[in-house]
Amino acid sequence: MEELDWLSIKSGLLDMARKRGAEVARVGDPALLEDAEPGLRPSELLANVKSMIVLGGAAPRAAEWESTRVEVMETVGTADRMTALGSSLARHIEETYGYYAMNVPTATDQDDKAFLDFKAAAIASGAGTASLAGPVLDPDHGFLYLTVILTTMPLPADGPLEEPACPAPQCLDMWEEKGTTPCMAVCPIDDGGCIGGEIDQGLVIKRRYDAERCRDRVYHYWTPGYQAALERALDEPDSRKRKMILYGSFFTRTMWSITYSGVSQGQCFECIRACPVGSEQRALK
Amino acid sequence: MTAVTGDVEETDPGDLEVITNAIKQVGINAGSTLVGVAAADAFNEYVPEGHRPGDFLPGAQSVVVCASLGPTNAAWQSPNRRLMEITGYDFRENVSSIVVAEYIEQNHGYLAMQAPALPTSGQQPPLSMMLSAVLAGLGTRSIAANIILNPTYGIMFFAAAITTMRLTPDHQLEENVCPARSCVRMYELEGKTPCMAVCPADEGGCLDATIEDGQITSSFFDRERCSTRAMNFGIRGHIKQVEILTGIDDADERRELIYSDDFRRNMSSIGRYKESVSQCFECMRVCPVGRYRRKLQ
Repeated sequence: MEELDWLSIKSGLLDMARKRGAEVARVGDPALLEDAEPGLRPSELLANVKSMIVLGGAAPRAAEWESTRVEVMETVGTADRMTALGSSLARHIEETYGYYAMNVPTATDQDDKAFLDFKAAAIASGAGTASLAGPVLDPDHGFLYLTVILTTMPLPADGPLEEPACPAPQCLDMWEEKGTTPCMAVCPIDDGGCIGGEIDQGLVIKRRYDAERCRDRVYHYWTPGYQAALERALDEPDSRKRKMILYGSFFTRTMWSITYSGVSQGQCFECIRACPVGSEQRALK
Repeated sequence: MTAVTGDVEETDPGDLEVITNAIKQVGINAGSTLVGVAAADAFNEYVPEGHRPGDFLPGAQSVVVCASLGPTNAAWQSPNRRLMEITGYDFRENVSSIVVAEYIEQNHGYLAMQAPALPTSGQQPPLSMMLSAVLAGLGTRSIAANIILNPTYGIMFFAAAITTMRLTPDHQLEENVCPARSCVRMYELEGKTPCMAVCPADEGGCLDATIEDGQITSSFFDRERCSTRAMNFGIRGHIKQVEILTGIDDADERRELIYSDDFRRNMSSIGRYKESVSQCFECMRVCPVGRYRRKLQ
């Protein structure tokens, strides 16, 4: 096919994704991820892979960010939408163009390892840039849920963004004035939180992130919470106390969180709540 | 009778096929690859009371069966075998069957509902999606775990809507899809088909069959063995682990199991059921039916 055809095909695919809910739709070169450790390389999932399409969207709505009940944000994740969109787009590529395409599973492989580094894929495609807080941030929308489609279709790559979304200008000002940023201030690694780092000449350096602590807080319901509560229940020799644990609110919520994992994946969003990137999207009347 | 929105129309038999085709198109537009229709009373010959469409929707006339393909062709090709264990697909046949039911109620004024397919007691589904697919002409049973094979696409995933609306039913397929011609040839040469060869019942596998004159004359499927392999993560795996846990007295040993990768994968499989339906596809991987469609660029 002519180069022009691939451009228009790419444009059609990305437009389709945007119409169906993606806020960001970009194409990256999977070869950029081939230096990743074994088990995380695109070619290990799909031989002869030529392109990776990264879609971002389904962020919590502005009203949910504004809710005065913390339980709202704990139970309103919509990451499933991106997974369904990715599957649909992959199927469309195969059925329409005859090239292999797969939506990379968002669930983890053995030993809880991802099948692909979604953040690296997003950065390589320009669907955002790395942040001090952790999640990839799109300059306009901030935090988004991601899905990655690998395909043997040779689509022209967009490549990484030239300007990092983080630190935002407001964060630079705060750093110069107070020696911290909104995300570090809300979750300081040296004060029981998860995030640390420095900013030098407008760039994040010496980033520190306590992944275990963050995981404990973000996923206190869901599988880790269930494991902890089950262990406690089985260790409890008193049958009445055991019953209290098993029928208690915490145990019940862990089960809800597991069965509704698509809508209840995270219980802490504080670093992103404080993040100014994309905050204008969350400010409505 | 439960009220529904819209006026109940009189179905002109002359228009029935047109209406049926329009309803099928609604299912396809909602994401199904194929849609077929079975007459509700066709189930009577095959299943006992309690498992017929009218047992769930009194006055049921038709069952609209939606079929989708499941994993993409790329997933089948992946060199990482664990990808197919967790190969998200979007259950769009379920969405499609709900859309069809809503369409019938809103546009034709007949009752329609998604058919109950998940077992509520024991292992038997309330309404068999496999039987529904066969009766709707979408495929026939195969040697490979009785999986319904469509002649064009091979393995498909099914969901259905039951309705009180009379529709034009499809004919059951006149010829069995399985065994394929190449499988008959292999059986004549080697005494087994590709699926039997990859999972032989007499060598620790699940499948066996005899073929005469190109037709299956007997078949054996070890469902218990298959289910422990095809669904080793998920609800059953978790139940087994809970049973083991309650029999362990040592707290450290319990802890080791609770925080093991196997335990986590069971929980992940339950939580992300859509992304982890099955952990063995080997009989289907070697099945020639629909295989050429999985070969892309």
